[in-house]
Amino acid sequence: MVEEYNIDTQVLLRRSWKLKGKLGGEGKWQAEIGDPIPEVSANVEMADLTECKDQPILTRRNTRVNLEWRIRNLPYPIETYSIKVDNDNKCIIVSTTNKKYYKKLEVPELQRLNLQLQQANVQSSHNFNTLIISYKKPQPLLDMEKEWFEQLKTVKPIKDIPNECNTQ
Amino acid sequence: MTSNQAFKYYPNPLCLKSCNDFKLKASIVWVKPDYELLLQSIAAAQVQEVRSITRIERIGAHSHIRGLGLDDSLEPRAVSQGMVGQKMARKAAGVILQMIREGKIAGRAVLLAGQPGTGKTAIAMGLAQALGPDTPFTSMAGSEIYSLEMSKTEALTQAIRKSIGIRIKEESEIIEGEVVEVVIERAVGTGGARVGRLTLKTTDMETNYDMGTKMIDSLLKEKVQAGDVITIDKATGKINKLGRSFARARDYDATGHQARFVQCPEGELQKRKEVVHTVTLHEVDVINSRTHGFLALFSGDTGEIKSEIREQINSKVAEWREEGKAEMIPGVLFIDEAHMLDIECFSFLNRALEQETAPIVMMATNRGITRIRGTNYKSPHGIPLDLLDRMIIVPTTPYSQQELKEILNIRCEEEDCQMSGDALTVLTRVATETSLRYAIQLITTASLVAKRRKATEVSMEDVKKVYSLFLDEHRSEKFLKEYQDEFMFDDGAGDAPQQMEVSQ
Repeated sequence: MVEEYNIDTQVLLRRSWKLKGKLGGEGKWQAEIGDPIPEVSANVEMADLTECKDQPILTRRNTRVNLEWRIRNLPYPIETYSIKVDNDNKCIIVSTTNKKYYKKLEVPELQRLNLQLQQANVQSSHNFNTLIISYKKPQPLLDMEKEWFEQLKTVKPIKDIPNECNTQ
Repeated sequence: MTSNQAFKYYPNPLCLKSCNDFKLKASIVWVKPDYELLLQSIAAAQVQEVRSITRIERIGAHSHIRGLGLDDSLEPRAVSQGMVGQKMARKAAGVILQMIREGKIAGRAVLLAGQPGTGKTAIAMGLAQALGPDTPFTSMAGSEIYSLEMSKTEALTQAIRKSIGIRIKEESEIIEGEVVEVVIERAVGTGGARVGRLTLKTTDMETNYDMGTKMIDSLLKEKVQAGDVITIDKATGKINKLGRSFARARDYDATGHQARFVQCPEGELQKRKEVVHTVTLHEVDVINSRTHGFLALFSGDTGEIKSEIREQINSKVAEWREEGKAEMIPGVLFIDEAHMLDIECFSFLNRALEQETAPIVMMATNRGITRIRGTNYKSPHGIPLDLLDRMIIVPTTPYSQQELKEILNIRCEEEDCQMSGDALTVLTRVATETSLRYAIQLITTASLVAKRRKATEVSMEDVKKVYSLFLDEHRSEKFLKEYQDEFMFDDGAGDAPQQMEVSQ
């Protein structure tokens, strides 16, 4: 697991996990938060069935007070969407009245703290073909993140600007 | 000039109703009006369409064989599943089949020995069919191991590991949905790459997918059409047809009795599911040997695999088996023309067969006592005595006249050729006097001659005609002997001792 933080704003920019197949081989990076990481070896033969470029793409991008999901390439107006909390499956369900899009959004942050989802915390907006769903971080999560960041502060960042690049 | 045609793909021209909406959709983009080219490309699209609909299965030399033709107690039936005669060899193959199914014995070798054209390969194919698709069956010719990219032993190791399967439970990403539309486009011109789009839906959502060439091929092979409910394994690209959607139940007036109707799936298209995979040891090797990143482009499956990786995988598999996570399925490695292997391969096989993870190795040869390749020693079947000692040898014998007739009859059916009784008798006599293979060659040629005179049935005259048109091996030899001095490079030496190269 790798995390990237903005040290000025204390916001988590990226958290991704390396998943290994059962049969072994190089694992794949799966981004929990932040933009998905493009595969290094884009194997042309393996990628035989891919979603079209114009299909909805889901990314996570948290802010300081909100958990945020952005679904790009969704051209339908805001009335189309219904966003409901499903506490049995511990997820937020996005569905559309025109039956074009349906997605179960998992909330790993709350699952880890064993917190229930609250419908009142969900907000959404639609702009530039993007549906943004935000969920207000509950107090226990905020407390935990604060505590965690205090610990991170003790870690010294490495200044990793390569100086060999100057010649070019 | 860029121009593209798009056409809808309706793979089932026999269904009555689909004929009505069988419309050709051709959308053509052109820079300046050029009507001739427009017509041409429409015609091309039509031809393309017809071709993709009436795709015929190609008929191979052994495509009539569907199994070993044994009954439940492994007794051979006289004529069954495309197999005729050769009862003893088939009975022996049945015993071997039982041994493989039980899966206890590792590393046995079987030799099928017999004259050319006595059904050695047919028995091996029948065994493969009888084992079913879940048991790995690798078929190779003895000369396949001689490659410049790989050493002989590496090629043999890979072949051996391809014949051992592992059944393992794995969570994988699966796309499950009802097909809304399949569109296959091809850029104009020969060799234009095909691009496909597949639209799938569930009751709640709909998504478009881009397909590569492989996926297009497997969709065409499975004859997937709009209204089918399918699952696609994202990692392997395997397509599984679940049935037709209930919503499409009234599409056709007539449906086959095997048509199964299922509900359109709910929720998300992409799901994670536990599936039981059968992979071969070789595939696991390849997955784990790929160096990551940029180099992966250059080291494909063809590269050699390090022995450390193989050892690691062997111990991993042993671990899985102990924990009950995986099951080993020993398969069959079939080496045709086994006399083409050389002494190094034989000594390697001696050792490889003793391993716990060895499959049943089946070899076939049509040689008698001959030189072992790579040495000057002679041995029965061209195989060293120490390896022969580890084998069970199954002989095949020449067919009787009645059996030949039966085989020719089956081949006539397979090649879709009506043959009259006396023509079949003549053909049988040709088979007894020359060879079975030559007689089989005459079936399709004779049927073409019959077609030219617009007859529905092949008569004796047609067979006689092709018999005179095409020489068999004996007559060709006779002809050569007669006119030897008129051919090129004849030094008049006659029967000079021929030097055969002994390859190292």
